[in-house]
Amino acid sequence: MSFHPPYHLRLNKAIDRFILIDTIIKLERINGLALANYTYYGLGGPYLEEFRILSELCPEMRMVSIEKDLDTLKRQRFHLPCKTLKLKNTDMKSFLINYDPRDEKSIFWLDYTNFNLSAIEDFQIILGKVATNSIVKITLQAMPKDYIGEEKAETFRMEFGEFMPDPSIDPPLYKKDFAKLLQDMLQIATQQILPANLDTVYQPLTSFYYADGANMFTLTGIVCKRSERKNIRNLFKNWRFANLNWAQPKHIDIPFLSTKERLHLQKHLPVKQKNTGRRLMQALGYKIDKNTSAQLMKQYADFYRYYPYFVKAEP
Amino acid sequence: MKSTDQIQYESVDASPVKSFFVLMLTRDISLEDAILDLLDNCVDGILRSKIKQRGAKPYKGYKAEIEFNKHTFMIRDNCGGIPWNLHDYAFRMGPASGRPTVTPGTVGIYGIGLKRAIFKMGRDCLISTQNGEHRYEVEIKPEWIDDDETENAWKIPVKPAKRSMKEDGTTIVIGDLYPGIAVRFNEDIKSFQSELYRMVATHYAYIIDKGFEVVINGDSVQPRPTRLIFSSDKKTPNVQPFVFKTKTEDGVEVFLTVGFTRPIPSQDEINSEQVEKRYSTHDAGWTILCNDRAVLYCDRTELTGWGEAGVPRYHTQFIAISGVVEFRGDASKLPTTTTKRGIDASSQLYLQVKNKMREGMQIFTNYTNKWKGQADEAKKHILRGKPLSIEEIKEETEKLTFTTTKQTALPGKQYKPLLPLPKKLESQQRRISFTKNIDDIKNVSDYLFQDETVDPSVVGEKCFDLILNEARK
Repeated sequence: MSFHPPYHLRLNKAIDRFILIDTIIKLERINGLALANYTYYGLGGPYLEEFRILSELCPEMRMVSIEKDLDTLKRQRFHLPCKTLKLKNTDMKSFLINYDPRDEKSIFWLDYTNFNLSAIEDFQIILGKVATNSIVKITLQAMPKDYIGEEKAETFRMEFGEFMPDPSIDPPLYKKDFAKLLQDMLQIATQQILPANLDTVYQPLTSFYYADGANMFTLTGIVCKRSERKNIRNLFKNWRFANLNWAQPKHIDIPFLSTKERLHLQKHLPVKQKNTGRRLMQALGYKIDKNTSAQLMKQYADFYRYYPYFVKAEP
Repeated sequence: MKSTDQIQYESVDASPVKSFFVLMLTRDISLEDAILDLLDNCVDGILRSKIKQRGAKPYKGYKAEIEFNKHTFMIRDNCGGIPWNLHDYAFRMGPASGRPTVTPGTVGIYGIGLKRAIFKMGRDCLISTQNGEHRYEVEIKPEWIDDDETENAWKIPVKPAKRSMKEDGTTIVIGDLYPGIAVRFNEDIKSFQSELYRMVATHYAYIIDKGFEVVINGDSVQPRPTRLIFSSDKKTPNVQPFVFKTKTEDGVEVFLTVGFTRPIPSQDEINSEQVEKRYSTHDAGWTILCNDRAVLYCDRTELTGWGEAGVPRYHTQFIAISGVVEFRGDASKLPTTTTKRGIDASSQLYLQVKNKMREGMQIFTNYTNKWKGQADEAKKHILRGKPLSIEEIKEETEKLTFTTTKQTALPGKQYKPLLPLPKKLESQQRRISFTKNIDDIKNVSDYLFQDETVDPSVVGEKCFDLILNEARK
């Protein structure tokens, strides 16, 4: 039987998911992209969490879940959140071969739990096929410790050399730098498949790295007309989570706080002054971690709007 | 209409139109190759000035810096500059007669590389050069390109350079970039720079390894030269490369070596590569060097003998086999194409050398096939050796006994290694492979190793070993 961690309970991933929803809402609200004209494609796992949230956001939107494991598919059938969701029993590669959207806009989330060449190729295939104004998000495992040592570094170079900005380097050791390397590699992948002499471009919107266990990197962007890029950048330029120029990905590392602590902190939010973390720490009156308490509080201040509440409920 | 007897038949104008050169010359060369052409000119400068040093790092201290952005492209070197006595040839289209003898070791013979690279990128160019006491600038303006009418249409004005350079060298700045080029230097800069970096790291690997430095937008390029496994173990058989060397009647020196860069792949590695591409880059295949510069890199086609005359077609199982052929001599005698990034497959010299390439390659394809299914055992032999650069192989093989190959069309000397073969040529082992449901494999893996992620082949082998122990009781 396939083992699945409780994806829906993963705090940092939950925040990333809500930021995707916010991104979609922003695009719809500001740019007039009618969600009902989109089809969402994802690898929803057994609980189909993002499908559930999306169906609440826009019940008319068509959705397709891609799942190769038959048992997981059965669990998905059990968790089916709405009628507009179609469950496909296939792998991503086979799905993409037959994917022919014509002018129909898509939202793709390539939510991988590993990192290999095939993931980058899938990303490129999608960028080459989707209609203008489609949103493409990719999540990859970003574990620098997997590539320590000369032999592993060489394997990394052999596998990803074509996408590395400097194909002679060893992959970096720090998570922050490794996330940036993956982002640079995806940027090169986008420039290869949508070179500047074509009139569509992949405009990044957000990018994050986080760990709920394994370290992950995630990038969201929109395939738009080059002439429209400036407008899209303008829509997002004042949003604190936006990453419109392939800059350093932002870190999501939200602390686990009790409901009581959160309700207490709520009274002090948002903090407009500097030293947000220290101010919230003072408001709480104690440290929640020996060394990184202020940073964690800053993380809370940044992302608290997306922080899910987990409560005991009667079925 | 005039009648024919009224027409004065005069000469017709058959002079070339500049825009023809600009359009046609640049069409069959990629931007990356055009930039490599400019790098070739830098290295030719070193050789021409005869300032190349001796030893393992003869190019040490020489450097080419490349910088580009959406407005300009610049390449600056300290490689000796363009001598004033060459000015009439350096800027002519094609190899003008009367040109001083080609310096041995250079690769430029067609006289188009510089111009083609400039016209590939833009319509405005300033070349500043300093060679000894001569310092001058040549400027090509868009108006010059458009001018086909005036008497001096093909003349380019030269003026003395305003400033002196610290060292003799040349700086080329190209502006008024074509829109298609400007976007690659701007919006696509990340992918273009990565591609150019990789091409320089591979095609210039041998020169950089010998001390030359290439800097692209501030990053110094690290070379990726081929290194072949060489075992110094006196006991034979052992893993060493095949070597062939010769000097032709017209003075071209040839050094050819082929061998293993790594252990031969396991069956699992081969199988997984068959299902989906696993590596975006790998170093298997043939690299051909002409005067230190790679004109072909890791080729795995019939062009280099794969799939011809007894050599199998390239396949993942041969991922460990790599070879290098070095041609050195007068550029006009070398088997290159005009773009300098290709082999003239019909060259008689190359066809003769290709025979030797196939002969060497067969030793290693045969070894790979003989050890098929026993990659772990073969790995032990390969790991006994050390990966050596081509220069190191030349040095090491000096100590070995070469045989003379007079009977072949291309006489020379060769060293044929004796590679270890399995004890019995007919392997006593047979491969067992079967497929099972992934959940069942995880289940057995968890049962045997308390870990459901163990490689399926390990799980299968463990099952067999357990039953074998039972059967032997």
